[in-house]
Amino acid sequence: MLKIEHLIKVYEDGTRALDDVSFTVQDGEFLVIIGLSGSGKSTLLRCINRLVEPTSGRILWDGTDITAASLDELRRIRRQIGMIFQQFNLVKRSSVLTNVLSGRLGYVSSWRSLIGQFSREDMQRARRNLERVGIADKANNRADALSGGQQQRVGIARALMQEPRLMLADEPVASLDPSTSHSVLQYLEALNKQDGVTIMCSLHFLSLARAYGTRIIALKDGKLVFEGLPAEIDEDRFKQIYGEDAVRVEIL
Amino acid sequence: MNRKKNPLLAGLLSLFVPGLGQAYLGDRRLGTTFLTAVVVIGGLLVWKNARLLLFVLLAFWLLGAWDAYRRAQGGKTRLAIPFLLAAFLVYAVAWQTTEIAPMKLVKGVGDIKPLVTDILWPIPAAFTRSEVVETARDVMQVPCSDTPPSAEPQPEGKPQIHVSSNCAAIGERITLTGTGFRPNWPGEVWWENPIGQQFFVRQGGQYLRFRTDAQGSFQIETQIPLAVPEDMRNRPQIHHIEVRVHWPEGPWRASQTLELTIAKILETIFLALMATTFGIIVAFPISFLAARNLMSFSPVSLSIYYTTRAILNITRSIEPLIWAIIFVVWVGLGPFAGTMALAVHTIAALGKVFSESIEGIDTGPIEAITATGANRLQTIIYAVVPQIIPPYIAWSVYRWDINVRMSTIIGMVGGGGIGFLLIQWIRLLRYEDAGVAVWAIAIVVSILDYSSSKIRERLV
Ligand SMILES: Nc1ncnc2c1ncn2[C@@H]1O[C@H](COP(=O)(O)OP(=O)(O)O)[C@@H](O)[C@H]1O
Ligand SMILES: [Mg+2]
Repeated sequence: MLKIEHLIKVYEDGTRALDDVSFTVQDGEFLVIIGLSGSGKSTLLRCINRLVEPTSGRILWDGTDITAASLDELRRIRRQIGMIFQQFNLVKRSSVLTNVLSGRLGYVSSWRSLIGQFSREDMQRARRNLERVGIADKANNRADALSGGQQQRVGIARALMQEPRLMLADEPVASLDPSTSHSVLQYLEALNKQDGVTIMCSLHFLSLARAYGTRIIALKDGKLVFEGLPAEIDEDRFKQIYGEDAVRVEIL
Repeated sequence: MNRKKNPLLAGLLSLFVPGLGQAYLGDRRLGTTFLTAVVVIGGLLVWKNARLLLFVLLAFWLLGAWDAYRRAQGGKTRLAIPFLLAAFLVYAVAWQTTEIAPMKLVKGVGDIKPLVTDILWPIPAAFTRSEVVETARDVMQVPCSDTPPSAEPQPEGKPQIHVSSNCAAIGERITLTGTGFRPNWPGEVWWENPIGQQFFVRQGGQYLRFRTDAQGSFQIETQIPLAVPEDMRNRPQIHHIEVRVHWPEGPWRASQTLELTIAKILETIFLALMATTFGIIVAFPISFLAARNLMSFSPVSLSIYYTTRAILNITRSIEPLIWAIIFVVWVGLGPFAGTMALAVHTIAALGKVFSESIEGIDTGPIEAITATGANRLQTIIYAVVPQIIPPYIAWSVYRWDINVRMSTIIGMVGGGGIGFLLIQWIRLLRYEDAGVAVWAIAIVVSILDYSSSKIRERLV
């Protein structure tokens, strides 16, 4: 169980990106975070693995306070939390296999990774994960030679190397076309349903949020403005979240 | 101006210290400009000691006071023309100081011509053939004694010469005839004094040359030269006169000049290679310390960043030529000094561009790999290094190219390489030899330039 308590993030320039946000995520949920661009979705997700240092508040994961973790503890926590990104964040010049293997670094000692030596098990694990996302044949290609959808699948395979219990996805399909978006989200759904990995995923489109989320939270100007089931978002809620004259954007 | 200011006070302040009145009125920039103008003109006055400048200085001083006075009253003075005149004055002094004389460019054309033609066409200095020499000699007593020597026996079937008399006084004319030489070919007349020193005989400032006829014979008149010190001139001495006809024969081969040039250009290339390699080895780790995006995680790391940057900037601002002089004093003349000088400069130059490559990388992968629980070192190896390898290689190749160029300059102060050879030949006025070196440098530099740009094209 992940419990966020009074989380506040004020950036150095004074931007209040998160303003007293509290909510709970149960194990096995597929939580979707919606909100306008700039509402604080990325900041929230990055506070959970402390890519962004929260200004105040607590993040409790099965009772451990992530915000209070030492650097060593933090690395142990991070390796159980996978993360995928809108821009995929692959090392473009490295091979797909190397990118996937780098997801295992949290389990490998410094000097072994210095000589680029991964164990046989890790190699097998990498192949399995590539197979799972359907791009085993691309293992030796350069990452930037792949299409957007394939690159995001490499991103998922890299996160799978961590054998995560929680997966953070920051607008994972915002750079992809509609049909590819669905295929990527289906991999996350399978991960959620079959492996029981908890998912926290920010999405731009309400239709996608409704199709994949088991629960939805909405942010507006850093504040939590909605928390509930997908079916509970009606026209009024939508306007509240996206502003009065927002045009309803939908994709299928 | 909101508050009332006293015009008289403003004027007096500017009279006291130029610009002070303007500063008092709130226009610091104008004040500084006036002060600077007066200081510059004053400086020129002290240096050049020209009376005209004294008037200009006073005029400016008073103009400043007047301007401050008018300004305080809310008026304005036109300052553009006085300042333009001051600028003109500075240019006039600068023109004079740098001794600019465009006419010299026209007058000097004649002097530069042999240098340019030799440097442009140094082929004669680059290749040689072996020489075949035909000689014949005879004795010559100067001045005549009572018993003049008889002619030396001339070898049968070989070139022979005959002088009209085997003794003569200094300045007296004799006739020299020769037979059996290579036909239709130029020859030279040489003189050997009693102690064996040989001179190419001159006549009226020209070396004494002749040309054989179709039968290989010639006849030429010559004066007896001054070939011994004054105290020996009155006693009869035995000299020799010698005729030489020579011509190149056999295959062309590299001259000593070319061989030396090739050896030194190779030294230059290797010098640049070693300097670049040392530079890369040191600059690589340093570049991580000088990259802001990697070093901003704590105050300590940030201060390391600033220190590294400062050291790199200072080192880079010292020209390689200065480093070369320092190292020549330190380790002595030769290529090692040049290597060290270029290595130091390379560290500074590469340290800067390397760290800038790091600062320009895509930070997404760093974020992603940090999120997997990797530590700092692992993150750098897997997210940073793959991104910087191509620009590092490109910059290194480019540096090698630059270092080859620079080592030609470094050589001129004794840092080894071809520059040393080049500067010596130029000083000895051996422009053809210098031309060979210049061409070698041009060829090597353009090949490197071309290949380094090709390599970079492929990597970027
Ligand atoms: N590194 C940063 N420094 C300063 N302000 C930031 C930084 N990152 C994000 N912000 C600001 O914080 C707010 C929330 O941003 P973000 O979390 O990226 O929102 P979202 O992901 O919902 O678009 C925005 O106003 C954004 O401009
Ligand atoms: Mg975002």
